[in-house]
Amino acid sequence: MTGFVTEEELVAAVPRLTRTRLLAFVEAELIVPVRSDRGPVYRQIDRARAELACDLAEDFDLHEDALGMVLSLLDQLHGVRAELRAVLGALESERPEVRQRIGESVYIARRRG
Amino acid sequence: MSNDPYAALGLKKTATDEEIRKAYRKIARTSHPDLNPDDAGAEARFKAASAAYDLLKDPQQRARFDRGEIDATGQERAPHGFYREHAEQPGNPYRSGRQYQYSGGAEEFDASDIFAEFLRQRGREGAGFAGFGTDRGAGHSGGGFAARGPDRHYTLEIPFLEAVNGGKTRITLPDGGSLEVRIPEGASDGQTLRLRGKGGPGMGGGPSGDALVTLGVTAHRLFERQGNDIVLTLPITIDEAALGAKVAVPTIRGSVNLTIPKGASSGRILRLRGRGVKPMGGGAQGDQRVILSVVMPPKIDAELAGFLEGWRKTHAYDPRKGMTP
Repeated sequence: MTGFVTEEELVAAVPRLTRTRLLAFVEAELIVPVRSDRGPVYRQIDRARAELACDLAEDFDLHEDALGMVLSLLDQLHGVRAELRAVLGALESERPEVRQRIGESVYIARRRG
Repeated sequence: MSNDPYAALGLKKTATDEEIRKAYRKIARTSHPDLNPDDAGAEARFKAASAAYDLLKDPQQRARFDRGEIDATGQERAPHGFYREHAEQPGNPYRSGRQYQYSGGAEEFDASDIFAEFLRQRGREGAGFAGFGTDRGAGHSGGGFAARGPDRHYTLEIPFLEAVNGGKTRITLPDGGSLEVRIPEGASDGQTLRLRGKGGPGMGGGPSGDALVTLGVTAHRLFERQGNDIVLTLPITIDEAALGAKVAVPTIRGSVNLTIPKGASSGRILRLRGRGVKPMGGGAQGDQRVILSVVMPPKIDAELAGFLEGWRKTHAYDPRKGMTP
């Protein structure tokens, strides 16, 4: 169970995060802590997400609904990017003619007009 | 130029507060590493602009900087572990849903919809992965690609009594469905239950994977489990302790009567045979151990005090005898 932090530790670790703001994030399910017998605890991913949520909230005046939508889009984007990299990694180890063929298909599918 | 926060925002020293705010927002929009993951220079630009903005957004702080009282790096923020590094990890809990959590594992396959679709098509066409490239043409002869579905990992918090006595509960699944979980009698904290065929669907006609449910047992207000024994601390009155009594004691399966022997002290342990946990794989049922704890009346009245003062003159005893270290 390493890497978990409590609510106080999280608020202390993220400069723009206040307890009120964290509770609002949790209430809106933008941040979902892990339940433990010490009460709610937060993972490293929650810390990074809280930091990003604070950036978005302050720099762009986003409130819960818009913030939730932006975060959800970012989750999708980052996930797809990681998967695309995995596909490209897998293709890397294929034979040149296979890569050539796939490259051509992708080019045709994504060609403009 | 990182020493000049105005330059980091592309501004002159004469910029108004509003101009500073606008310039920073523009950089944040075009250079935030989480919003522009493919731009290698974005992180550096964003960090410089954030540091600059943190310094300049507060007019007093800006004035101090302008007067040369503080330098630009004096206000630098702690290193920023950007969210995208976490969000790109397989099984990002925020991507797949909210109330549940996949945990990583060797055979874990957190397929996004795109992959799931791609692999399903492969299965249907029968162009087996095994024969890919080697015996093309023979791939449609029915020996198609089939794979067992992935196992799914879940965690489930259950109350103490449900774990020791068994029961049924449900887990809500990512797709909105739910899964019935039978908790066997005597289940313990950290134990993993395997529900056959309740994991991810197989591909190309392969069997479904299993659901692996790791149990977390919440603590109980009264009972504590030690192996198959249940331990309970029972408060008793001074008269029950001195004279003996029959009192009702809660157990994990309702209340039973327990005889307190005459002259029982705090810390004495009485055993209720067979009132503990029935171990999951069979074997002897545990006991409930009752630790007595003598509790004084809320108020020591004159009658009790008077009696004890007289009593100790003739009946003094020393329970701390031989306690010298």
